[in-house]
Amino acid sequence: MSDSRPVVEIHELSKHYGEFVALDKLSMTVDRGSILGFIGPNGAGKTTTIRILVGLSRPTSGSAKIAGADCVTELAKVRRLVGYMPDKFGSYDNMRVREYLDFFGAAFSIPRKERRKRISAVLDLTNATWMQDRYVESLSHGMQQRVGIARTLLHDPEVLILDEPANGLDPEARIEMRTLLLRLASEGRTLIVTSHILPELSRICNRVGIVAGGKLRAFGTLQEVTRELSQRRTIEVQFLSSVGLSAAAGRIRPLLESDAEVTISEAESIIRCRTSARDEKLSELLGHLIASGDKVAQFREVAGDLEEAFVSAARVAEAERASQAPASGGSGRPATSEVTR
Amino acid sequence: MNGSLVIIERELLALLRSPRALAILVAVALAFAVIVILKWPSSGIVQVDERQLAVQTESAAESSADQLTGVQAKAVFQWLAYAMLTAAILIVPVFPSTSLVNEVRRNTLELLLNSPLSRASIYFGKAGAMIGFVLLLLFATLPAMACCFLMGGLSLTGDVLTLYTFLLLVCVQLVVVGLLVGTYCRSTESALRWSYGVTFAITVIPIFPELLFPGGTSPIARGFQWLKLMSPIPSLMQLLNLGSVGGSGLMESRNVLLWYISFAVLFIVAGSVLCIRRLSHSLLDQARSQGSITDEQSQWIRASRRLLYVVDPQRRSTGIPWFVNPVMVKEFQCRQFGRMHWLLRLVAGCAMLSLLLTLAASRSTETRGVGYTGALIIVLQIALIVLLTPGLAAGMIAGELEGGSWNLLRVTPLRPGTILRGKLISVVLTLALLLCATLPGYAVIMMIQPNLQQQVVQVLISLVLAAVLSMLISATVSSFFRSTAVATTVSYGLLVGLFAGTMLVWVNREAPFGYSFVENALRLNPMAAALNAIQANGFQSFELIPSAWWISSVASGLLLIVLYLRTVRLTQPD
Repeated sequence: MSDSRPVVEIHELSKHYGEFVALDKLSMTVDRGSILGFIGPNGAGKTTTIRILVGLSRPTSGSAKIAGADCVTELAKVRRLVGYMPDKFGSYDNMRVREYLDFFGAAFSIPRKERRKRISAVLDLTNATWMQDRYVESLSHGMQQRVGIARTLLHDPEVLILDEPANGLDPEARIEMRTLLLRLASEGRTLIVTSHILPELSRICNRVGIVAGGKLRAFGTLQEVTRELSQRRTIEVQFLSSVGLSAAAGRIRPLLESDAEVTISEAESIIRCRTSARDEKLSELLGHLIASGDKVAQFREVAGDLEEAFVSAARVAEAERASQAPASGGSGRPATSEVTR
Repeated sequence: MNGSLVIIERELLALLRSPRALAILVAVALAFAVIVILKWPSSGIVQVDERQLAVQTESAAESSADQLTGVQAKAVFQWLAYAMLTAAILIVPVFPSTSLVNEVRRNTLELLLNSPLSRASIYFGKAGAMIGFVLLLLFATLPAMACCFLMGGLSLTGDVLTLYTFLLLVCVQLVVVGLLVGTYCRSTESALRWSYGVTFAITVIPIFPELLFPGGTSPIARGFQWLKLMSPIPSLMQLLNLGSVGGSGLMESRNVLLWYISFAVLFIVAGSVLCIRRLSHSLLDQARSQGSITDEQSQWIRASRRLLYVVDPQRRSTGIPWFVNPVMVKEFQCRQFGRMHWLLRLVAGCAMLSLLLTLAASRSTETRGVGYTGALIIVLQIALIVLLTPGLAAGMIAGELEGGSWNLLRVTPLRPGTILRGKLISVVLTLALLLCATLPGYAVIMMIQPNLQQQVVQVLISLVLAAVLSMLISATVSSFFRSTAVATTVSYGLLVGLFAGTMLVWVNREAPFGYSFVENALRLNPMAAALNAIQANGFQSFELIPSAWWISSVASGLLLIVLYLRTVRLTQPD
């Protein structure tokens, strides 16, 4: 769905809180219609980046643009281009869902007639029509998340920035949320989504950005990112039958590095290899198996594991921090709450 | 009992660690020191009754010494007693009312209820901690009381200890009020508002009906006389050997103190039982509204609801029109009593109030004169303004910052001016409604004395300025805090400081303050301007108008500028 024109452009974005560096020259672009999974450990700089993008925070240096509008100097434009859902819902007491949406619609100066139609449309889109007369504060967390997304869609923004939209949702609601986000992207909207539920994220994102210690550690497709960050890849060799799997595993082991993991799944007739071998080596391995008369049905690389990539990035950032910190102790880094509002 | 001690330790330590508690204790100690300094004899010689000196040389019985008190020591003692009661009424409700609400919000009540602690242990633990803080508060007044005692003429047991015991009883009653209110509220803001409301309802308001309907032997008049006994004020006056409220110096024939003690003890016991009963999982498991809506019901139900409600609260709203400020609509919708059907009830309530005031004005002007009645209505209106304004305005920005919805407002194209205007208009309209309700009282005064028209107009201008100034003080305070409870408390403190603090200077107009100092202090207080306009007793000699108006207007203008700049700052990127 994405076209190659970047709609979000971030260039060398830095944000300092006193001596603490929350963001360190972060650069990335997000294409129109794509879904960016923006992940990182707590206090990595995700929320700071998002707050700069929506105009809630001013960068120390660097620039951020949304559809060509500068996030510092063209705030009014940016506010109409972006739909932002923070991790904290921000409800008002004694307001019904429809009134809540009506208020935000009016705040965006949508005429009353059109507003009514838009509210019905976004409620329908988020499958929340049935709760339109409920009081906002009485809704469960999952329901509030839906209302939150409905609110972000009211003014028909080009870019949606969702901070932890799947947080606290049950599995069914998560599936609904996933379907909704894919649908929004298919309509041509650009989505930036942060989440700590990585398997969920890896199923919807076509771009991933991993930020840790204020720096962008990896950026690209899921495969690119996992390959960049993971030291090992997983290769699955499926045979026509489970007969002779142990012998085949014995032939594979010498061709891989000494600490490579080779495991056998008799039920699936599969040998799994966790290896750091390059493509040339793997080609050689496949040739060797065929030459040995093994009946190979499939030889494939399993898509990278985002969790592993995430942990790798976090470890790198931790190691960097430890090397920079004074020997006497402490990371010298304030808690998240101290550096973000 | 052991469980209660655990809670007392946790609560009291947490309370004492908070900067708010420390600030309150320091402020109380300083304020009482100031009262003693103000009332300390300028010559350094204490006027002691001659007979007392004679008695001091003999080992006379203490009872006879009680009757031979020093005039100045007694005067200072009376002032300290009033100030201590005022401090108790203003400070004590803050902590107990927010304690339970905070426990529910932080999900710690769940942990407490799931622990082996009984509900009674939790309740008595919390109440014990609050009473512990109250004791500290009373201790903070001890240095001032000691100075007063050193002036001579006071009995340690007959005066000082009795006063402290009495005040402790009042404080325990207020702690129970706060805790009980906390079980009914879901936000700290509403808990504070309701706590102050109930506190004023049982301490200050019971004395007004009898003031407005003086004398009389009808059952209603007798009812008002008995209602007065619920308040600790007449009891304190009896304790200080002063006349009764509105009694023009005449002593109350009934044993007011005994009646009050009986009422307070009954209240404490009943309130505690009710509070312990309410302290259960049901606090955490409140039914959620199913959001029923009249539009989807039958024609008959819709018609009957329309007849019943006039403005049906369950009717689907048609949306905010383009010409109306959306923030103003939002503010009314979010306010518990801001919905149209509640506003209509408020109008009806105000109309009733105005009728009562009209009746009271006509009755009391017959017996006490126009100046007295006018002054009483002014004080009542200012009390209403001081009670309601922080509840309406102190959470307008702090509440949004606390709840996280301010960021949602920031990412809309709404300008700071639009946000501020919407919020302020919603407060102005409510205050205007309340002020208008009291106009008929003035109409009666003008009917009785038509030549007072100009003075009444001056009073009304002063009251409008008082309302505007109160609103802007509360709103500006709101823009500096991220917690509604703190903003509300600070607002109450500032408003009481402005309206009651300057009156404290007026009370000391004979000494140590000179005439010009008192006049300048009163110029800061629009209530004093109103009292001056109506020529209330003690205000005739001052020339406060129009300078007081100018000061209030300039202060309001400056506050508005600060508020606007703060709003702009808060809407800008960090």
